[in-house]
Amino acid sequence: MSDAPAPKKHHRGQTMVFIGLAMLAVLLLIVVFGPSIAPYSPSKTSPNSLDGPTAMHWLGTDSIGRDLLSRLIVGGRGTLFITFVAVALALAAGLVLGLTSGYMGGKVDLIVMRILDVIFAFPVFLLAIAVVAALGPTVRNLILTIAIVYTPAMARVVRGPVLSVKRWDHVEAARSVGVGEFAIAIRHVLPMVISPILVQTSLILANTIFTVTALSFLGLGPPPPDPNWGSMLAEARQFMELAPLTVIGPAVAIIFASLTFIVLANGLRELLDVGSR
Amino acid sequence: MIRMVLVRLALTIPILLGVSIVAFGLMRMLPGDFAEAAAGTTSVSAEVLATTRAQLGLDRPLWEQYGIWLKGVLTGDLGRSFATKRPVTTELLPRLAVTAELTLMAGLIAMIIGVATGLASARLRGRTDWLVRGWNSLLLAVPNFVVATLIVLVFGLYFPMIGIFNYVPFAKDPIGNIASLLLPALSLGLTVSVTISENTRAAVLEVSSQDYVMVARAKGLLARTILGNYLVRNALTPVITVTGLQLAALLGGSILIETIFTIPGMGQYLFDSVTRRDYPVIQAIVLVSSTIVLLTNVLVDIAYARVDARVSYE
Repeated sequence: MSDAPAPKKHHRGQTMVFIGLAMLAVLLLIVVFGPSIAPYSPSKTSPNSLDGPTAMHWLGTDSIGRDLLSRLIVGGRGTLFITFVAVALALAAGLVLGLTSGYMGGKVDLIVMRILDVIFAFPVFLLAIAVVAALGPTVRNLILTIAIVYTPAMARVVRGPVLSVKRWDHVEAARSVGVGEFAIAIRHVLPMVISPILVQTSLILANTIFTVTALSFLGLGPPPPDPNWGSMLAEARQFMELAPLTVIGPAVAIIFASLTFIVLANGLRELLDVGSR
Repeated sequence: MIRMVLVRLALTIPILLGVSIVAFGLMRMLPGDFAEAAAGTTSVSAEVLATTRAQLGLDRPLWEQYGIWLKGVLTGDLGRSFATKRPVTTELLPRLAVTAELTLMAGLIAMIIGVATGLASARLRGRTDWLVRGWNSLLLAVPNFVVATLIVLVFGLYFPMIGIFNYVPFAKDPIGNIASLLLPALSLGLTVSVTISENTRAAVLEVSSQDYVMVARAKGLLARTILGNYLVRNALTPVITVTGLQLAALLGGSILIETIFTIPGMGQYLFDSVTRRDYPVIQAIVLVSSTIVLLTNVLVDIAYARVDARVSYE
């Protein structure tokens, strides 16, 4: 839609992807090295409870004197781990379903898409709450729930372009020289549809950050004592009158993480020239 | 037209059935004994469990249970709450009205902000465009419960004289009721305004390049007339559609917002039921909200086809 000439757009996309990747690197560092970067143990209590930011505790302490920065770093590990694994599962399921459904067409397509339509009909967050409430809030259940909830969105994005790509000449050519259907789907169709999948994956990562933290915010996250951003924000809200600044840490962390994937998605969209939605 | 409406509705029925199966299945997926969950404790005598089972029809085959449940649902019987033993329907309806009001206000706020920023971004271009898009990206990254928490922080702590945190029932004081819902609706609507803003921008840009706008400009019509009579009117159709499709996001978000601002709506009811493990209520809310979202989508489709003659579902 933009009137800007193509090279400029390309350049802007490149810059945004670069910024997004740099932010992602920060997040990955937290996931991998979390406990060793944290200045204190996330469960070590101290008598200075609900302190504001001090030289000893950069972000202050919580209601039982635990260091908030350490809890934020270790909590990020928990939040992001669930996010990455859940989206990876949704991506895998969406790829298989979307590719099979789009490539095979006919009855398979009809059945798969109708089943996914049913899941798609639920408001995402509502379905997530109901499933987690029924199964119990463990890390495994959270991951499974989120994977299920986002699979239809992923499958649709894969299926759409597959429907047109499978009629292209190079696919026809591969078939005429006797390449098997499975090999065609993987080697000649999949690479052609990778751009929209990348964009969609980043967007779903941002949404998943929202879902995971929102569930924990409501008390449906991984059980305590493991810290995570959502429950930290909920706790900070409880003690808002005594220590208003403790809200800032988890709020900024959640915003930073989702912003990472939104910047990445927007950048990829411009760089790879994927039509918006 | 009538045929199109019927076709569209007929296509929705299998999805609604699927939704009801999932909602029913959710209850049966529970770990442990459903009768124990219904009794509210694991330490009940065998006789009590047996009576509960017979009462709830748990001794019958699963498909029969589903049939009985579905028949009840179709006649407006959503079962009884485990916690209060009252029919879910009577408890849910007044709360649904509150959520509907909140969602509607949030939708309106989102539309005002979204259309204004989208229009500004498309018409003024340059720095405004850049600003609006940056603002939208940032807004998209701030989840509604974070917005709500920050609003509570700022207003509750630094401007406590604005007593906006106590929900006022509509029957008691209509104006106070709307005032008490303004900030919750704003925190709910902000994220949705991004989608509306982006779509308005795209729609206005597309309409601007249409021949009839060029003709209007060539005729020498005032820029203001073109904006009002040609651009906004034609660009608004997709915008209204998009707003309708955001209902799912608004309903999902209302759970968080109502919990934070203690508004006695459906979202807070769901939250309370989740903490009390009141499964019939959870099931009912999942079913009702998905049905509302599905039917809204149908309405949006139909409205779209009615306004835009180019759309056909034949």
